[in-house]
Amino acid sequence: MINVTKFVYEPGEHEAEKASNSYLMSLIALIAGLPLPIINLIATLIFYLGNRKGTYFVRWHCTQALLSQISVLAMNSYGFWWTVSIVIGSQSITNNYLAYIITVIIFNLTEFIATIYTAIQTRKGIHVEWWFYGSLSNLICKSES
Amino acid sequence: MKNIITQGLILVALFFSTWLVINQVDWMKLFSVETVTAKTEEKLGELFWDIFEKSETENKNPFVISSIDSIVDKICSANGIDKKSIKIHIFENDEINAFALPAGHLLIYSGLILESDNPEELSGVIGHEIAHIQLNHVMKKLVKEVGLSVLISMASGNGGGEILKETAKLLSSTAFDRSLEKEADIKAVDYLIKAKINPEPFADFLYKLAADEHKSMKYLTWINTHPDTRERAEYIVEYSGNKLTEPEPALSEETWEKLKEALSE
Repeated sequence: MINVTKFVYEPGEHEAEKASNSYLMSLIALIAGLPLPIINLIATLIFYLGNRKGTYFVRWHCTQALLSQISVLAMNSYGFWWTVSIVIGSQSITNNYLAYIITVIIFNLTEFIATIYTAIQTRKGIHVEWWFYGSLSNLICKSES
Repeated sequence: MKNIITQGLILVALFFSTWLVINQVDWMKLFSVETVTAKTEEKLGELFWDIFEKSETENKNPFVISSIDSIVDKICSANGIDKKSIKIHIFENDEINAFALPAGHLLIYSGLILESDNPEELSGVIGHEIAHIQLNHVMKKLVKEVGLSVLISMASGNGGGEILKETAKLLSSTAFDRSLEKEADIKAVDYLIKAKINPEPFADFLYKLAADEHKSMKYLTWINTHPDTRERAEYIVEYSGNKLTEPEPALSEETWEKLKEALSE
């Protein structure tokens, strides 16, 4: 699922820090935004927009962090609104709902662990590409040279 | 590009298959969701019932009870509802009111029975309340209004008497959400049609009470708490349409007259 590859160039210390921060940003926002899943997306998006003019390494990692947040958002929002409709609406707790929430927790945890790992690795200047998101980032994020 | 789409699809498939696999486990049983809710509801039903039993006078006339019981029985047996799950109580009270408590207690005030012109009107109201019970509206309302934690502490005997009394009042004199009311109305029409009881008098009853301005507001609890009575009557008529061709009387005329007599004594 996670692939460590060589980036096209050796990123500098400052770049590695910024790129790593893009993941940390989503982590902090994830903790703050647990009840409202949109917050982590907004935080990552702001960081992404702020670094649009950054170096290739930074931009690439901001893109990967943002993309992973979008799918987490879709998954969590559905679970969030489902919960809301149970708490204040007319729906009741079903086995289907519990299974969904457990699945969402598993996927969030996986994402959480992958994010921590990637943040640490990118901080060291090591390029980490995720399954699907990495390829997608390669497609979206082009080197200027 | 093709590679990315495949990877994305695999990821989505992985999510749904995980959900499907996890769904195979009976989490409801594992977390005892149903047992906890059922036990809480049972206990709350007892507590609320105690309050009403102490503060109101129950009519224990066997004829009155058996007459109302026969209507309930008719609705239940035609709709596959377990009759034992509905506990009917009739109270001597001039208020036009009927309401459900947790655990299937259904309280009907004599004022409501006397206000009904025929047994079909009464059957409509009973059907509506049974629908609230069957659709689990009572517990949903309680959870929404007072919160699950308060309910559980009440059921475990830690709730104060005052909270309990206030909550009991909430059940007897406030309506459900508009959507829940409509759901119960529609379900009631379904019940009536299956039991071969004409649902139109139910709508008439609502029209009648909405139009009755002479009645002191305080006696019209069931209507005051249920918003948009006219609108309700309209959709009941519309929904019932011509679904029932050969209605049967909910009670014989003789029984109905005797019932009213017994209650007005």
